Amino acid sequence: MPELVVGDHKATETPALRSAGRAERRRYRAPPFVPLWALIGIAAAVALIGTYPYYGSNAYVLSLLGKFLCFAIFALSIDLIWGFAGILSLGQAVYFGIGAYFVALSLKINYALTHPTRYGGKFPDFMEWNGLTELPHFMTPLISTPFAVFCALSVPTLLGLLFGVITFKRHIYGVYCAVITLAESLILQEIIIEYQAYTGGFNGITDYSNFAGPGFLWFILAVVVVFLLIARALTHSRVGTVLKSIRDNDVRAEFMGYNVANYRIFVFCVSAFMAAAAGALYAAWVGIVSFLDAGPVFSIEGVIWTAVGGRGTLIGPFIGTFLVKGAEFFLSGALASWWQIIVGGLFIFVVLVLRDGIVGSIGNWIRKRKRGTTLHQLIEESDQKAHDRQLEWRPGGPPPTDEPVR
Amino acid sequence: MLQSIITQFMSGFSVVAILVIAALGLAIIFGVAGVINMAHGELIMVGAYTAAIVGKLGGNTFIAIPVAFVVVGFLGLIIERGIIQWIYDRPLETLLATWGVGIILQVVMKLIFGPELYYVGAPKILEGGFRMIGRLPFPWYRLFLIVVAILLLALVFYVIFRTNLGLKVRAVRRNRAISGCLGIDTARIDMTIFAFGSGLAGIAGAVLAPIKSVSTTMGFPYAVDSYMVLVLGGVGSLWGVLTGAALIGEAETILSFIFNNVIGRLLVFLFIVIIIRIVPRGIFGYYERR
Repeated sequence: MPELVVGDHKATETPALRSAGRAERRRYRAPPFVPLWALIGIAAAVALIGTYPYYGSNAYVLSLLGKFLCFAIFALSIDLIWGFAGILSLGQAVYFGIGAYFVALSLKINYALTHPTRYGGKFPDFMEWNGLTELPHFMTPLISTPFAVFCALSVPTLLGLLFGVITFKRHIYGVYCAVITLAESLILQEIIIEYQAYTGGFNGITDYSNFAGPGFLWFILAVVVVFLLIARALTHSRVGTVLKSIRDNDVRAEFMGYNVANYRIFVFCVSAFMAAAAGALYAAWVGIVSFLDAGPVFSIEGVIWTAVGGRGTLIGPFIGTFLVKGAEFFLSGALASWWQIIVGGLFIFVVLVLRDGIVGSIGNWIRKRKRGTTLHQLIEESDQKAHDRQLEWRPGGPPPTDEPVR
Repeated sequence: MLQSIITQFMSGFSVVAILVIAALGLAIIFGVAGVINMAHGELIMVGAYTAAIVGKLGGNTFIAIPVAFVVVGFLGLIIERGIIQWIYDRPLETLLATWGVGIILQVVMKLIFGPELYYVGAPKILEGGFRMIGRLPFPWYRLFLIVVAILLLALVFYVIFRTNLGLKVRAVRRNRAISGCLGIDTARIDMTIFAFGSGLAGIAGAVLAPIKSVSTTMGFPYAVDSYMVLVLGGVGSLWGVLTGAALIGEAETILSFIFNNVIGRLLVFLFIVIIIRIVPRGIFGYYERR
C-alpha cells in the first residue's frame, strides 16, 4: 500500500513492510541514489556550462548562464515544496529577495568604502541621495561580508520557520497559504520601495563589485550540485516518502500517525534556505538587485518554470528554467509583447495539457512502456480499490484489508 | 487628533465600500465555484476600460455599469467554457491557469489601447462634495461608492437567497454530488456563477474607474486585497465579505493615517495572519471545499 502512495522504491523500508518476508525484499531492487543516466547528464551539463568561459567569448551569454543557474536553484526550492509536499507558495521570492538584498547591501557598503561618492562620503550613494549623512548604525555589521552571507541564509530560513509554525500548525495550506504568501511578497516589495534610503528603493542596488567570472561560475555550479544531492537525499529518504504521501493525501498521512505539520515546516525551511542561497548567489553574480526580485511576479515565474520542467522531479526545474528563460532571451526581443502572450498561454497549456511537465511526461512515457501504466493511473486505481473495499465493508465483517494492489 | 481619527474613520467607509465592490465577484467565484481566479484583477481592469470607452462615447458611469456587467460577464463566460470547465477538480491549478489568463488580458488590452493611462470623469451630479465634521470635504462620489456597495450586496443577497438560481447554487455548494443526483445541472450552475462573478468584477471596474487612472496593471492590487478580504472574512459567506472588508478597510485607513501607507498595510497583513491563526477558516467561514 505505501508503495502505491509514493510510487518509489524506498517504501519497502517503511515499518509496515519491514516485517514482510525476505523473499519479497530480495525480489525488489532499489534504484541507486543517483542513476547512471542522471550522473552522466549532470556531469555533462556541469562540464558544458563550467567550461563556457574557455570556449565561448560572449560575455552576455556567460552572465546569463550564471543567472539561469541561480533561477534554477530558485525553481528547485519551489519544486521541493510544491512538487514533493504539495505546498504552493506564491511568495518564494521573499526568501530569494531577502538573501539577495543582504549580500548586495554588504557588497555595496564595501564598494563604497573604497569608492567614495561624489561628495566624498564613504557610504552607498543611494543613501546619500536620500538624505542620510552616514551609514545607519544597524547596518554596520554588514561591512563584514561573511556575516552578511550568514544573515542572507539564516534570516529567510527563520522567516520560513516562523511562517510554517504560524500556518501549517493550524492546518492552513492550499489556497490560503498561496494567498497569504502572495500578499507577503507584495508587501515586502512595497516596503523595499518605500524605505529607499536603506534599500535603494525603485532603482534597486547597483554599481558594486560583483563576482562575474569563471571561478564564481564554478562555485555556483558546485552549489547547484550540492543542492541537487541534498534534494535527492531528502526526497529519496523516508522523509521524502512521507512528504509525497502528504502531497497525495494529507488526511490519510495524518491518520497514519505522521505529524503532517512538522514535515511541512521542515521542507518549507529547507526550501526557504535554498531560495535564499539562490538569491545570495544571484546578487553576487549579477551585480544588480531590485524590488522585482522580491515580488509576486517573480515568485509565480518560478512556479511556471517548475511546472514546465516537471514538478515532482529534481531535474525538471533546471530544464524548465533554462528552456523558458532561454526562449525569453531569444524570442522576447523579436516578439515584444507577444512574448507575454506566449507566457500566459504557457500557464494555461501546462495546466490543461502538459500536467506533469516535460520531464514528468517523459517519465510517464517510459513507465508506460515498461509497465503498461502511468503513475497517475496507478494512484487512481489504488484509490478506487481502497474505496471499493470500504464500500464492501459491512458492520461486523472483517476490516477492509490493505494488501498491496499492484 | 481624536477628531482627525474620526474623520479618517468616516473616510474609511469608502475604502470599505471599494473593498466590498471589488471582492464580491471573487467571493461568488471563489466561494461557490471553488475557482481561485487570479484574473479577477484583470476582469476589473477590463471593466474599467469598458467604462473609459463608454465615457469616450459620451456616456457616464450610470450607463457604464450595465455595459461593463454584460461585457465582462461575457468574457468570464468565454474563460469558463474555454479553460476553467476542465479543471474544476484541481483548485490550485486553476490559480496558474487564471494567472495566465490575466497576463494575456493585460497584454491584449495594452495592444488595443496602448500603454497610456485613461482618465474617466465622475458623472456631473456626483462632482464636488460636502463638508463633514472634520475639515476635509467628503466627495459625493465616495458616498456613491458606499451606496453602490450596499446595493450590490443587496443584489447578491437577493440572487443567492431569494431566487431559484440561488437555491440551486447553494445546493451545489453544499453537496455537489447529491445536487447532481437531484437533477441540477451542476456544470451549468458553475458556468452561470463564473459569468455572474465576472460581471460583478466588471461593475467594480466601471465604478472604480473614476477614482483611479485606468491602466492595464491597475487590477492586481485589487485582486490581492479581495483575497485578503475573503481569507479574513471566510470563504463562501457574504457576511464574511462585509466583515472582512470592514475590518481591513478601517484598520488600513486609520493605521495608514497614524503611521504611513506601507506600515499600515504591513500591520493589517500581520493582523490578518494573527486572526487566521486563531480562526483558520476566517471569521464567518465554516466550510471549505478540498
